[in-house]
Amino acid sequence: MELAVALGLIVFKVAFLIAILLLLPLPLTWLERKVAGHMQQRMGPMRVGWHGLLQPVADGIKLLTKEDHIPAEADRFLFKLAPILALAPPFLVFVAIPFGESISVLGTEITLYVSNMNVALLFVFAVIGIEVYGVIFGGWAANSKYAVLGSLRTCAQMISYEIPMGFAVIGVVMLAQSMSLLDIVRAQADVWNVVYQPVGFFVFFVAGLAEAQRIPFDLAEAEGDLGAGFHTEYSGIRFAFFMVSEYAIVLLVSVLVVILFFGGWNGVLVPLPPLLWFVLKVAFFVYLFIWFRFTFPRYRYDQLMAIGWKVLLPLSMANIIITGVLLGA
Amino acid sequence: MSRAKDRVGTWIGWGFFADLANGLALTFGYMFSRPVTMQYPDQEKWLPYPRYRGHHFLKRDEEGEIKCVACELCARICPCDCIEVIPYEDDKGKRHPAKFEIDTARCLFCGLCEDACPADAIALGQQYEFSSFSSRDLVIGRDDLLAKPGKATTGGGVVAARLNTKKDVLVETKETQGYNWWRNIRRT
Repeated sequence: MELAVALGLIVFKVAFLIAILLLLPLPLTWLERKVAGHMQQRMGPMRVGWHGLLQPVADGIKLLTKEDHIPAEADRFLFKLAPILALAPPFLVFVAIPFGESISVLGTEITLYVSNMNVALLFVFAVIGIEVYGVIFGGWAANSKYAVLGSLRTCAQMISYEIPMGFAVIGVVMLAQSMSLLDIVRAQADVWNVVYQPVGFFVFFVAGLAEAQRIPFDLAEAEGDLGAGFHTEYSGIRFAFFMVSEYAIVLLVSVLVVILFFGGWNGVLVPLPPLLWFVLKVAFFVYLFIWFRFTFPRYRYDQLMAIGWKVLLPLSMANIIITGVLLGA
Repeated sequence: MSRAKDRVGTWIGWGFFADLANGLALTFGYMFSRPVTMQYPDQEKWLPYPRYRGHHFLKRDEEGEIKCVACELCARICPCDCIEVIPYEDDKGKRHPAKFEIDTARCLFCGLCEDACPADAIALGQQYEFSSFSSRDLVIGRDDLLAKPGKATTGGGVVAARLNTKKDVLVETKETQGYNWWRNIRRT
């Protein structure tokens, strides 16, 4: 009986998480278009629903009913596999991510995470690395020059930015003496990590921008020179898979930044429910992503590589050494 | 000395991403500025200036008689040959157009007919919404031209309006003067 309840709880949590992750791109696309509009003195979507609130639903219906086109010369198996490979890892990662300690419903304590892994951070980086396969396969299988160029760029970008990203979190792990995300948040109960690790936060956030392929690092889907990058040839629901994956990664990077550097659900000054604090912080970083997108121009390809290897990598390594020396002293 | 200081300041600013922060502050300010979008045709409509060259109209004199004397000068000067006038003489011996047709599909709204008219009978008015599904509907006859709205008196404003799709695609408005959307543009 105990086992059945625990199992049922896990299944429910996973289903709830998947539902949230699948539905969250709807308000996010709306928000992105609204913010874009107002930053450019436009209004953004206004026609469907109140202030265009139902616009993402209309877009979703449109994508569902559109022709699912596969190019004649495409590698059909890889072409169909790629969107799933791009979509699954960002969803899988959320298994290891805690959203709070626990809440009590009907007298039973329910933990706000699916699993408390002791190597959660490692798991996150290992699984998110798989996502690049979706991009590579998608670009390669479409048999289009734009898509191949886009996926080559993505490939190089992901590989070179995952290294400083991984190095940047080592400082956090050293401070918390644990790789469990839950322990990392608990270690920040008094002072947030961003105070001790400003450089680590900077490197992690910039590398996260690149990882999510957002402006100023969105070379993989540079509209101006590549059409749409690796998903140029995709249409209909397969294209929607890539979009959902992109937003899930934006969300993931925001959640990771909050957990690793901004104290997770630990609040300051204002006593709010921990979950609300967490959501507010994540919302701020999601907004920051959108804000960046409509402020900065795109980096050139060699600049992107130079920032990754010549700035972020030395910075993150120096961060590790300095943190180690200070902790040892 | 001051140049060296400037350079040091620039480098410090560069180190703290001053230019990126400036950009972010600018876009953030713009986010709360008023949009310049005109909600045409659902809620708002732009009023043309008096000098605006919209749809043609024919004028009447004080007695309510059509001013046009059917001299056909407008038809002669028209660069795209879109005016057709057939004159007649009424019982008082005055010339008037029996037929006065303008093919607005061909018209380029240059206003030369207005300039050429010796009787000040034709002019280009304020109406600018006369799209049609058929080019045949764009040939406007004499009586329709007499009923068209004249020159605008005010202009440049955006007024509240409403799209009427029941009888015709036409934007109705009750106001004569609106807000100046040009002033809403944030310039920094």
